[in-house]
Amino acid sequence: MRRRLLAAAVLVVLLALAAITAASAPAKSQADSITVWLMVDAQNNWADAVQAATRQFQQQHPGVDVNVQYQTWGEHQTKFDAALAGGNAPDVKELGNTETVKYMANGALADLTAQKRSFPNSATWLQGLTESVTFNGKLYGVPYYAGARAVIYRTDLYRQAGVSTRAPQSLDQFVTNGQKLMKKFGTDRNFSALYFPGKNWYASMSFVYDYGGRIARFRNNRWEGALNSPQAIAGLTKLKSVVLSLSRASKTGDEANPQQALVFSKGKVGSFIGNGWEWPYSLDPKLGNPELAGKIGAYPMPSHIKGRYMPTFLGGSDLVVPATSKNRALAADWIKAYTDTASMTSIAKAGNIPNTTSLVAINAAKPTLAPFARAAKYSWFVPAAKNWANVESANVLQNMLVSIFTGRSSIKSAADRASSQITQILNESR
Amino acid sequence: MLRGTAPYALLLPATAVVAAVAGYPLYLLVKLSFQQYGLQELIAHKGVWIGTANYAEIFHDRQFWEVVARTVVFTAACVSMTMLLGTLIALLLARLNAFMRFLLTTGLVLVWAMPVVVAVNIWYWMVDYEFGVLNWLLTELHLGDFEHHDWFVSPWSGFAIIGAVIVWGAIPFVTITLYAGLTQVPRELVEAAAMDGAGVLRTFRDITFPILKPLFVILTSLSIIWDFQVFNQVWIMRDQRPTSDYFVMSIYSFVESFKVSQYGLGAAIAIVMVLTMFAVTFVYIRQMVRMGDLR
Repeated sequence: MRRRLLAAAVLVVLLALAAITAASAPAKSQADSITVWLMVDAQNNWADAVQAATRQFQQQHPGVDVNVQYQTWGEHQTKFDAALAGGNAPDVKELGNTETVKYMANGALADLTAQKRSFPNSATWLQGLTESVTFNGKLYGVPYYAGARAVIYRTDLYRQAGVSTRAPQSLDQFVTNGQKLMKKFGTDRNFSALYFPGKNWYASMSFVYDYGGRIARFRNNRWEGALNSPQAIAGLTKLKSVVLSLSRASKTGDEANPQQALVFSKGKVGSFIGNGWEWPYSLDPKLGNPELAGKIGAYPMPSHIKGRYMPTFLGGSDLVVPATSKNRALAADWIKAYTDTASMTSIAKAGNIPNTTSLVAINAAKPTLAPFARAAKYSWFVPAAKNWANVESANVLQNMLVSIFTGRSSIKSAADRASSQITQILNESR
Repeated sequence: MLRGTAPYALLLPATAVVAAVAGYPLYLLVKLSFQQYGLQELIAHKGVWIGTANYAEIFHDRQFWEVVARTVVFTAACVSMTMLLGTLIALLLARLNAFMRFLLTTGLVLVWAMPVVVAVNIWYWMVDYEFGVLNWLLTELHLGDFEHHDWFVSPWSGFAIIGAVIVWGAIPFVTITLYAGLTQVPRELVEAAAMDGAGVLRTFRDITFPILKPLFVILTSLSIIWDFQVFNQVWIMRDQRPTSDYFVMSIYSFVESFKVSQYGLGAAIAIVMVLTMFAVTFVYIRQMVRMGDLR
């Protein structure tokens, strides 16, 4: 009995020692690794640029591990907030350019002003992106890439329906083209001349801005939602008629679920409004349809005013260093490796607009990138309000669009409701 | 003296674990509901005490009362369907031969064992707008034209689908528990009632149900608690971005906390939810116990 007790005691002590050493081992190597959170777009479309940057970084800092994790757009802010609260936030984080203001205003990001000149191409960074990482005159991030949306279409389906493959000069011509496509292929219940899911607010708000409306305006020292102005309502009315006549996409779905480029690759879509990277994504050998190569083109969405482009949402991402990071210098070095000229060139070739005007020639030269670069010349951006990210998270615009497209609200009442919600959220001081 | 304290000493480890795992977070949640806790406070790890301002804000918010009403109605519908169908299937189980009973029980256990997120995702694909098998099947059976039918345009049909998924997942537990209870109903009583000329319904109402009443009370209370706080099914069926007419209380609390970064407000909603559930089940159980005492 005593021997068994002794054996048991020794076993317990050994297990405890093993547990303690196992628990302490990661703590020792914490200073020798950095964590990077990027979005799945990078994983799907330019993963080699990420790996090249990591290799370059490790040549400079041998022995430092780089742990890259990919997040989805739907939940990355929630995870980031939880990580900030829990004290294990990453060292580098990709944030959308509409989301940075919220974090800058709340002191969540490290100040990089002193090191601005050490970042590659900082003298020629895109102005729009630089503004999205500047707060009170200080720099809190590094521009990463920008994206503009244009109409991506099937040249062969256009020809079969008798539609010219030259870019339409006005919105009315675009609609006429779409109606010809619906006449030719519309007997198939799954066919859409323009695949437009209900919650696609980026493309929807372009109609509002095209007719002279806006999402919100800053007046008398407070924000006011402006979606119920007459111009905005005119834009929404035109949007509703275009979508209901040309699209068979789900009115309650969004453009990422199912990913619209992949729906396009299934062959029952004449055109859709997408980002530059969605063109090569539809040709993906595993998820898309590589046989469509050579049958795809793109042009900027035309305005209702003849000869102009409809303003496109100037999306984009920035790379930031959370203020809680203990490895700010290493994080900054990784960002430098990832945003240098070579890396930006491969990111641009994947279908994005690079962060520097010095590389803009890459996009202008390639026919798969030029239409998006052209579309980017006429752009709109979300209100520069501290709480804008909360409007996005609360799905105010998506709710409004779904109730308009499904007919559950009139355009006026949906726009009124959305405007008052936007007013309330943007002016919340807490 | 030792005999007196032994029971409490034995309870102590379990109590300590429950207090640490459940009690401490609950205490923090209550504290959070009296604080202003936005993104700034999250990063500074320090909230600002504002007393009952969060509660005042939600009680004056029209959307909050809509969400409460919606949750109550939805819970009532789900619980009644679960209990009804669960009881019927349990009664069926008692009358089947051994092989069929084995098949049915296996099916129920498989449903029960399936992880919720996996199951709901598969249901989500089945009712998909464009490629869903439900639309295809209904069209093939000539029950109407369901091609491209979006089940979630109207919240009524949307919640009917979500309710079906919840009831489907909840039936196995209710059925197997009730079946176990049914085996305890003395056969002599049932046979005597049949000889006296009682029909099936009468037998159930006067013999089976009174014997099983404690089980029914427990199962109904558990169902109310579980269905009131349902989150996964609504969240996944709405693509992780439910529109506001799909908000139930758990989703509303989550959206307020994590999406709009108002953690104090979200905590207040959660506390109201807990108190409501407590009130509902307390009243119900007390009533049932009283009825039992009067017998």
